[in-house]
Amino acid sequence: MMSNSNYKFDWNVIEKYWPEILKGLIITIQISLAGMAFSILLGICLANGKLSNNLLIVRISSSITELFRSIPLFVLLFWIYYGFSLKFNFALTEFEAGVLALGITGGAYMAEVFRAGLLAVPIGQLEAAYAIGLSKMQSSMFIIFPQAIRIIIPPMVNIYIGLLKGATIVSVIGVSDMIYVARYVSLETFAPFELYSLVGIIFISLTLSISGFVYLLERKLGRSKVDG
Amino acid sequence: MNRTTESYIEIINLSKSFGSHKVLDNINLTVNRGEVVAIIGPSGSGKSTLLRCLNFLTRSESGEIKFQNRSWSLNSEGKRYKGKKYEKSLSELRSEVGMVFQNFNVFPHKTAVQNVELGLIKVRKMTKNSAREIAIKKLEQVGLGDKINQYPDKLSGGQKQRVAIARALALEPRVMLFDEVTSSLDPELVGGILEEIRRLANTGITMLVVTHEMGFAFQVAHRIVFMDSGKIVEVGTPDEIRNSQEPRTRAFLSAIL
Ligand SMILES: Nc1ncnc2c1ncn2[C@@H]1O[C@H](COP(=O)(O)OP(=O)(O)OP(=O)(O)O)[C@@H](O)[C@H]1O
Ligand SMILES: [Mg+2]
Repeated sequence: MMSNSNYKFDWNVIEKYWPEILKGLIITIQISLAGMAFSILLGICLANGKLSNNLLIVRISSSITELFRSIPLFVLLFWIYYGFSLKFNFALTEFEAGVLALGITGGAYMAEVFRAGLLAVPIGQLEAAYAIGLSKMQSSMFIIFPQAIRIIIPPMVNIYIGLLKGATIVSVIGVSDMIYVARYVSLETFAPFELYSLVGIIFISLTLSISGFVYLLERKLGRSKVDG
Repeated sequence: MNRTTESYIEIINLSKSFGSHKVLDNINLTVNRGEVVAIIGPSGSGKSTLLRCLNFLTRSESGEIKFQNRSWSLNSEGKRYKGKKYEKSLSELRSEVGMVFQNFNVFPHKTAVQNVELGLIKVRKMTKNSAREIAIKKLEQVGLGDKINQYPDKLSGGQKQRVAIARALALEPRVMLFDEVTSSLDPELVGGILEEIRRLANTGITMLVVTHEMGFAFQVAHRIVFMDSGKIVEVGTPDEIRNSQEPRTRAFLSAIL
C-alpha cells in the first residue's frame, strides 16, 4: 500500500480524532470489565466445582476449564457470534458476544486462581470458624474469602490485563472498540502508524497504572499475612 | 471447685477410622459438669481426634455423643443424624463448646477484638456495640487489654493464644476443649497460658484438656484419661494414675516424667 520512504508522519490526526479514539477506549474498557465480571462468576463456579467432594463434579469442572482455556479467543469469538447468533437464531449483539468470549476465556483462568487462593488458606482457619459456631456460608464469607482475596488479587489483575488486550480482538466482529476506531480513522486519514501508536500508548499507560495500583493495594493488604 | 456428679458429656461406644486405620476404638467416657479432665497419651493415640469429635469437626462413624442427655449423634429412632438441617444445628452446639487449638488459628485479617466479637455478632446475633463491650472485657481478662486493636501478626504466640482463648470464652461456652494449646509456644510463654487455663478451671466450667504438660495435668485435672492406640486404657484421679499398676500407663509416665 505504501512504502516506508514516502510515509509522512502526520501527528495532527491525533489532535483531530482523539475524541473518536476515546469513545473506542470507553467501549474497550466496558467490554473488558463486563468480560471480567463474567470471568469472576464463571471462575467461582468452576473453582467450587473443582473443590467439590463429588468426583464427577470435579471431573466435569476440570474438563470445562481445560476446554475453555484451550480455545483461542479469536475462534471462540467467531463461534459465539456467528455460530450462536446465526445457527441457533439466537441474536447476540457484537458487544454481548465479545463479553461472552472474554468471560469464557477469563473464567477458565480465574477458576485456577480462585482454587489456588482458597486452598492457600490453612484448614485450621475453617475449623476455627466452625468451632465458634459460624455456618459454612458465614465461614466462607467472613474468614476464608477475605484471606483468599489477598492471594487472588495479583493474578486476577494479570488476567484482567490479558482481557483488556484480548478485547482488541473484538473489533473483528464489528464492536466499535479502540482498534476498530483506529482502523476506520486510518482508512480516512492514511495515518495508521500514528493512530495505532496512540492506541499502543494508551494500552501501555492503562496496563502500567493498573499494575501500579495493584502494587500499592498489595502493600496495604500485606499488613496481615495469611497465617494463624 | 464446683464439680458436680451430674453427668454432662457422655461419650458412648465412639469409634472413628481414617481409611482402614482405627483411630478411636470404642471410646466410653462420662464427664461431669464442672469437671476438668486431662487427656494424656503417646503421639498418635487419638487424643486430638477424640476432642474434635466432641464438637463434630471430626465425624465418628459409630457411637454417640450426648450433652446434658441430648444426643447429637442419633435421633429418637436411633438413626445417625445427617443432612443440611443437622449441619445447621451443629452451629448451636459448637457455640456452646469452645475449642482452643495448638496452632492458635486466630483470624489474621481481623484485629484481636474483631476476632473475639465475630461469634457474638454472627452467631449470637448481638449488636456491634454490646459484642465489642464483651470482647474487650474478655481480652482484658486474659491480659490483653492494651492489644485489642492489634492484628495477630503483631502479637507473640502467647498473645495469639490468649486471643483464641478469649474468642472461645466470649460465647460463654459450657464446655471448653484445649488441644495441646502450649505445644507451639516458646518455653517462656507456656507458663502464662497454663495459668490462664488453671484460672478457668477454678471458675467451674467443664473442660477437657489434651496436654503433654504432665505436671500441669496432675495439678489441675480432677480426672486423667490415659489413651493408647485409639483406646482409653485407664481413667482415674491424678493419684490413682500416678500409682497405676497398668503397665502401659506406667511405661508412658516413666518415659515422660
Ligand atoms: N485427617 C486425618 N486423616 C488421616 N489420618 C488421620 C487424620 N487425623 C488424624 N489421623 C491419624 O489418626 C491418628 C490419631 O491422631 P490424633 O491427632 O488424634 O493423635 P494425638 O493423640 O492427638 O497425637 P499427638 O499427640 O501427636 O497430637 C494418627 O495416627 C493420625 O495419623
Ligand atoms: Mg493431637
